Parts: sequence; C-alpha cells; structure tokens
Amino acid sequence: MSVIRGYVDLPSRNRELGLIALALVITTAGFAAVQIARAQEFSSAPLIAALLFAFAYLVAHAVVRAALPDADPYVLPITAVLTALGLIEIYRISPQLARDQGIWMLLGLALFVGVVIAFREIRRLEELKYTCGAVAVGLLLLTIVLGTSVNGARLWIRVGGLQIQPGEFAKILLVVFLAGYLRERREVLAAPTRRVLGVGIPALRHTLPLLLLCGISLVLLVAMNDLGTSLLFFAIALAMIYVATGRLLYVGAGLGVFAIGALGAVQLTSHVQSRIDGWLNPWAVEQTSGYQIAQSIYTIADGGVLGAGFGRGLILNSAGGTIIPFAQTDFIFSVIANELGLVGAIALVLLYLLLAWRGFRIATAADDGFSKLLAAGLATAVAFQVFVIVGGVIRLLPLTGLTLPFVSYGGSSVTANFAIAGLLLCVSQRANRVRPL
Amino acid sequence: MVDQALLVLRIGVLVLLYVFVWRIARTAMRDVRGAQESMIIRPGQGFDAMPPVDRAPTPEPEPEPELPGRLLVVASDVLPVGAAIVLEASETLIGRDPHAAAMLEGDGFVSARHAIVRVRGTSTSVVDLGSTNGTFVNGERIAMETRLTPGDEVSVGSTHMLFEPGGRA
Repeated sequence: MSVIRGYVDLPSRNRELGLIALALVITTAGFAAVQIARAQEFSSAPLIAALLFAFAYLVAHAVVRAALPDADPYVLPITAVLTALGLIEIYRISPQLARDQGIWMLLGLALFVGVVIAFREIRRLEELKYTCGAVAVGLLLLTIVLGTSVNGARLWIRVGGLQIQPGEFAKILLVVFLAGYLRERREVLAAPTRRVLGVGIPALRHTLPLLLLCGISLVLLVAMNDLGTSLLFFAIALAMIYVATGRLLYVGAGLGVFAIGALGAVQLTSHVQSRIDGWLNPWAVEQTSGYQIAQSIYTIADGGVLGAGFGRGLILNSAGGTIIPFAQTDFIFSVIANELGLVGAIALVLLYLLLAWRGFRIATAADDGFSKLLAAGLATAVAFQVFVIVGGVIRLLPLTGLTLPFVSYGGSSVTANFAIAGLLLCVSQRANRVRPL
Repeated sequence: MVDQALLVLRIGVLVLLYVFVWRIARTAMRDVRGAQESMIIRPGQGFDAMPPVDRAPTPEPEPEPELPGRLLVVASDVLPVGAAIVLEASETLIGRDPHAAAMLEGDGFVSARHAIVRVRGTSTSVVDLGSTNGTFVNGERIAMETRLTPGDEVSVGSTHMLFEPGGRA
C-alpha cells in the first residue's frame, strides 16, 4: 500500500517556501540599497537582479518539492540568504564581477537540481566511491601538471577562457570516497584485532588505501602551495574517521601528525613562515606580507557596530580597485563586516552555524552508515572552511586562502557548494521520508 | 532623502537577517526535542550490506521496553475520553483507514492515513503522512518527524491525546 501525497500540501516544503520568500525580501532590499548608494537614484536594475534570483530559487524549490518532499526545509533558504549577501557585496565592489557571480549562481542551482534528481536515492552514490576517490586524486594531479600559479598558489586550471579551481570539487569527491570506504571498513578500524603496547592497531591492509589517499591529497596540496585546502582535507578526513569509529586515538594520532607537519612546513617553506609573521604581528610587515591582513583589520574596525551601510563603506580605492587585495574572494567577510557592521557579521556567522547544525542534524537522523558519514563529512567541510577563512581575516588564525562558502566570488566555489547543499537534501530525504507501513 | 532610504534599508536588512535566523532556530528546535542521538556510528549500525537501491532498509532490532507507551484520549468527537491507544508495534497508524490501529472513523477532519507514531527503542516520535488538516504536537502543526516527550499533546482532527511513555513495570 503506498502513501499518496500531494504536491501542494507538504508542511516541510511550505516552510521552505516561506523562508525563501523572506530571503527574497532581504535580497531585494540589499540590491536596492547598493543601487541607490551607487547612482543616487532609484533604478530598475536591482529589481531585475532580484527577480532573476527569485526565479532561480523558485525553480530549485519546485524541483525539491517534486523530488524530495520530506527533505530538510532549512538548507535551501540558508543558501539563498548567503548567496544574496555575497552577490550584493560583490555588486557593490563591481557590477561586472556581480554579473559573473550571478551566472555562477545560476549554474550552481542547475548543478543542485542535477544532484537532487540524480542522487535522489543517495545510496546510488555509494557505488561510485572508488570512482570518486580516483577522480579526486586525478583532479589534483591535473592541477599540478596543467595548473597556473596565482599569488604563489598553484590551484587553477585554465580551460578556454575559464579558470577552474579543481580543489573545490575534489573536496566533495573525497568526502564521498571516505564515506563509502569507512562505512565498509569501519568495523575493522573500530575494533582492531592486534594490539601494540595495549593500543589496538588495525591491520595495514585496511588502513593503507585510506592513508595512501589522504597522503597523496596532502602531498599534492603542499606541492600546490595551497595550505588552506590541505588543512581542510585533513580536518575532513579526521572528523569522518572519528564519526566512523568513535575512537579518539585516531584523532590524537592525526593531530600529532599535523603538529609535526606544521612545524616542518614552518621550517622548510618561506610561504608558511610569512603567513605566521603576518598573523602574529601584521603591523611590522604592514607594507609587505602583512598588507592584506592589516587592511582587513582596518576595514572591519571601520564598520563599527552597525556598519557603514550598503554602498557607503570604504571598500574601493581611488583607482576603483579594492583596498584589500582580493576583497571579493578571501576577504568578502571583511567587506560585509564593514558595510553591515558587527551586527551583520554576527548574523552571517549565525547563518553558517545554522547550516552546519542542519548538516550534523541530518547526519544524526540518517539511518545508514554511508548517509551519516556523507552528511557529517559535508557539514564538517563547510563549517571548518568558514572557521578557517573567517578566523584568518579577523586574525584569530594564520591566514590561509579559502573561499567563504556561497558568499565569495568564484565559479568553482559557488557551484561546488550548491552540489553540497543538494547532497545534504538527498540524505535528509532518505532519513525523513514517510515509509509505507 | 538618499541617506534616509539607505539607513532604513540597512536597518531593515539587519532586522530581517535576525528574523530569518530566529525563525529557523525556533522552528527547527521544535522539530526534534529530547536527547539527541549521537552522530557517531554505534557498533552494529552502519555496516549492513548495501541493499539494492530501491529496497527500503530493514529497521534495526532494538530492545523493546517491557510496557509499551500509550496515547490517552483527553478530548474527542469520535473516541471515548479515557481510551488508550497502545503503541505496541514499531509503527502505529492513526487515521480513518479501517486497518489503522487508532481508527478515528467519522471525523471529517482526519485523513484516511493521517499520521504514524513510531517507536524506536525508548524513543517515540510522530510523523504526519501528508494529511490535509495536519497533525499537531502541543498545538503546533508539525512539518517533520517530531519526537514526543512525556505529557506531550498529540492532536489529530477533533481528537486530542496525551503521550504516556512506556517503561518497566
């Protein structure tokens, strides 16, 4: 006997639609404010942008309504508000960049819809785990061979006129691989048979592929000089191994390896050393390696509690460029903190907190190991990335270049994050679905 | 004029951002209450052989409490007050369907298959099956599977029931 359910009367989806409507009001108001500040007059341009944004999100919502009626109703609206805040501030920096970002958002939502339809039954993804692992390593290798260097980090491939950052996609593929692999082997990893000095050590043949893949990823990333992403990959792998086994030993061992690696990196490369110097005392190197971080601190401080207001912050220099180099990517948080103040910056952090909480909530509600690991890994990826980059720009941590998910300018980052949102919704559909008796 | 408009828009956006955060925090908290399950995979969980894609997973066997929980009718147009719906199966159907364990025949505001109450170990939850008029817990229409805590009022149509958990005698 099957449960017949309507398309219209779905409480979760109606809640999602209500929240998306609220997100659209925020979007329209923000665009209008920037446009008014820019042109000193009212114009229809922001309205058109907001309408396009609304149309794209309503299509995504309609697809979720049809394909995933019981999925989590909060993830999609949160991405809407985050994307809108990013678009508004990028529009404020440069309408040209905002147009590109708008196209990335549409592509991102198209990928989201594709993921939702293709992996509606999320376990289909588990069969692809080795493919995903291989493609992840392949993407990173390709970046080393074909990559172009931007600011000392070799993390871009040029295809036609486009620059692609494969690390963003490799991250998701790595989580899928780890989820599938750890679900299969968690038993032998959690309850090892051999003991050395009273500590259970799992057999090498179970851990080798895992160590190999993580090791290769890290070596590749260090070779690319992309410390942010290698730190992120490391954190994701540790968190997922912990979720799979519940053994703190692995976390301790991982942190030990990380400490040794970090010390080695400081000794061996000038790149890391200069980041540490810029973190400890940016004012001493304000005109050189500490320039970005020092400007970021000035920009955040300038915003005060309630912010300078949309379009009124001191973001651009007299030449029309941004005062903070790369403000639209790594330092978008500082720009938002400037224009919306401490209050706005806290709201942004709260939005990420809600997103991470929904992700972990989806993981706890999931009823099979693969889904649990996948959701936990993806939520960790987003949460840790936000922690590292926001910590970097406010000088809580040494600065490592990562994008702020959904907010930063960048096609790879935006589309990859929409794929993550799609996967989380697919997992939550499986856990929340109403099963016929 | 421009300055005033910008001030209003800035404060408006900030307020709406917090309204958005607050709405999610409030409603999402209500969806799941009581003790959280751990995210860490329990022994015996999660290393089941992968079932064929279209098959529903077999529910995990959990130790049942010795006395099942109950829903006590406190007000109803179709059931006597004081009647108890015993939650002895892992899933108890509420609705007008003749096969429903909690049969609410004659209540026009109840769908044939309205809601199910699920018992997993010591945790009991209620989930709406896409009913027309909704299922309420303590007066709030539920959007997702909602965990019940002792004394919660579950309402379906005109019938209001209090949840009484099971336990050892």
